Amino acid sequence: MSELRVEAMAAAELSRRAAAQVAQGARLAGLFALPRGAELELTALLFAGGELVGLRAAVAPGDGYPSLTRRVPAAHWYEREIHDLHGIVPAGHPRLEPLVRHADGDLLAERGGLEHRGHERLGGPGVFLIPYGPVRSGVFEAAQFLVQTSGEDVAYCAQRLFFKRRGAERRICEVPLEQAVLVAERVSGTASVAHAIAFAQAVEALAAIEAPPRARAARSLLAELERLHNHTEVIVRECEDAALTVAQASFAALKERLHRLAAELTGSRFLRGVVVPGGIACDLEPDALARLPAALAEWRRDYAASLGLLMRTDSFLDRLITAGPLSEADARDFACVGPVARASGVDLDVRRDLPYAAYDPGAIEPPLGRDGDAMARLEVRFAEIEASLALAGQLAASLPAGPLSLPLPPLAREEAVGCAEAPRGELVYYLRAAGERALAACRIRTPSLANFGVFNRLFEGQVLTDFAFIEHSLGLSPAGCDR
Amino acid sequence: MIRWLWHGLAAPRLTSRYPRRAEPAPAGFRGRAVLAGAPSREQAAAAAAACLPGALAADGARLRLDAARCIGCGLCVRAVSGGPLRMEPRLELAARERASLLATSPPEAAERGRELPPPRRLPRPLRRSIHIRHVDTGSDGAIEQEIAALLNPYYDMQRLGLFFTATPRHADVLLVTGPVTAAMEGYLLRTYEAMPEPRLVVAAGTDACSGGIWSGPETRGGVDSVLPVDVYVPGDPPPPIALLHGLLLAAGRAAPAGPPVAEGAR
Repeated sequence: MSELRVEAMAAAELSRRAAAQVAQGARLAGLFALPRGAELELTALLFAGGELVGLRAAVAPGDGYPSLTRRVPAAHWYEREIHDLHGIVPAGHPRLEPLVRHADGDLLAERGGLEHRGHERLGGPGVFLIPYGPVRSGVFEAAQFLVQTSGEDVAYCAQRLFFKRRGAERRICEVPLEQAVLVAERVSGTASVAHAIAFAQAVEALAAIEAPPRARAARSLLAELERLHNHTEVIVRECEDAALTVAQASFAALKERLHRLAAELTGSRFLRGVVVPGGIACDLEPDALARLPAALAEWRRDYAASLGLLMRTDSFLDRLITAGPLSEADARDFACVGPVARASGVDLDVRRDLPYAAYDPGAIEPPLGRDGDAMARLEVRFAEIEASLALAGQLAASLPAGPLSLPLPPLAREEAVGCAEAPRGELVYYLRAAGERALAACRIRTPSLANFGVFNRLFEGQVLTDFAFIEHSLGLSPAGCDR
Repeated sequence: MIRWLWHGLAAPRLTSRYPRRAEPAPAGFRGRAVLAGAPSREQAAAAAAACLPGALAADGARLRLDAARCIGCGLCVRAVSGGPLRMEPRLELAARERASLLATSPPEAAERGRELPPPRRLPRPLRRSIHIRHVDTGSDGAIEQEIAALLNPYYDMQRLGLFFTATPRHADVLLVTGPVTAAMEGYLLRTYEAMPEPRLVVAAGTDACSGGIWSGPETRGGVDSVLPVDVYVPGDPPPPIALLHGLLLAAGRAAPAGPPVAEGAR
């Protein structure tokens, strides 16, 4: 990863320039505000021409700037978050209601419905509202989905998140630099490796070092194992939704095997505590590493047997095909990332576009879907599971020898970004240094934050009974979104 | 469907016999840090400085360890190699009181023979069939997957009479994850109020037990700052066996874990 190249400009210019770049094919990869002295600085991250660049403008607190959302829909949540947290008004934002802030005691039933949050309340005979969550049936993370229906068709769906906001970005800067990676690992606990890698790479960019080869290969290996258990989780959830008990049990058992391999390899079922700025904190357990290629081959055999059966189960396929389609235009407009974007035909993958760790950009071929429906999202994951198995097997068999980590020199640069392809898609850490050994600011653009904004659009014209299939096909992490 | 039936019948039996047969942790598993001997003044200070969630506190040449705050990262053990701390590869970590998860090295006089109030228990007729309502108050998302794993063929918690229920009105146990965020506090209290008596609260995960690594205006610092907690299940996240142990402890069908002191040093 690299130092961030930033271009400063006036606030009015920022919106215009960002919109012009997006019109020419750039992708908005984040928009955030940070205090600098008495002023606030607005930074837009754009992925353009094979690199991440920043556009920056100073804004006085309480002041405004022309909203980007009308021209770049992907900015809609970022601008609401900035408004909530810093009071900067994006003038002309189509729906500037609270996003991140929940008023104290903000219980839906007590406040008499949705009006106070500005969601549209539909009229008409027999239309009713299902407030689904944040305490939902089953074991789920806290998030709320407000579904308005007249019985079968979903007339309007709105997602409410940020129930789980823990202040991770602030916490990362508060704690000693050598412990901050522990916070990053727990932003989205199912993607600990990706978060640790993105954070570590951003710190390494600040310190102008690169992790040694063995550490880079180990990072790639762990990231692929993490992708495997996350993608398998999506299959388990979809089988559960289709009430395929045996299929659910088969894939859940496969997922458990991955966690057991992870525990043998790293001492943690979620692969935590290995990736640190400078390299890796400890070596992978040698016996478990030696057994890994064979264990993955055996895993693949059992997985292929269950998958073959699943793909011949009409009652499963019927529920997924055409469910919750996301058009390529929407996926691009809202700057979706990861398997969700790829299933709609958007060709992106951080491992190829901004190569890091031990990835060979020439060897990464992102699988692309055409239909953008729940089936396409699942098929993209099937293809990625195959690719991850092959990659993890190769890496485990040929981990280069050498030092595990480099001592972290004083932070020489002022700001940097670190990116990784998390199981859910592109993950971006922006860090600003405060002196030689501390961080002044951190912003995390998780793939779930990028993808949750498009959630409601997938339900247009869908039926209520497909809700769970569509939701789980996205495979999002409320913890990651809320931070 | 008949093919799935055949597939299921052909699959080997995977289910753990826990708790009738012990389920050892994998070698090298980082369960929690334990005190293994008296530290020097420098070691105590170094270990406490290396602990992000504040599980370790140094008082001169004495170390205080709060297992309800330990995230099992192992940084303390690395900071004082070969000394007063080691990692314990243990899965059963649940306890009924926060106080029984505390230890000091060398031990303080007050620690021995401490009287604890009698714990709330489910009445005997209710112990064989426990219905659980889960509420997430800001976890990192991994523990939800570990809880869901209790239903996979390896753990199959229903064989022990443990069930998830959709409504708090049918629940005996409230299983709470996360450090209790400001936005979830009201929902947590309402869920608890909707439960019939007798009801028990299980705080699952280090962040639910103590707030863990989080501090600041967004979080309340653990479930027991909002609700009476009956069982603490530390772990980051606690693996399925640890969760099973916590639920069985709530039901009065398992023994609690001891304080975080190494086997030899007790």
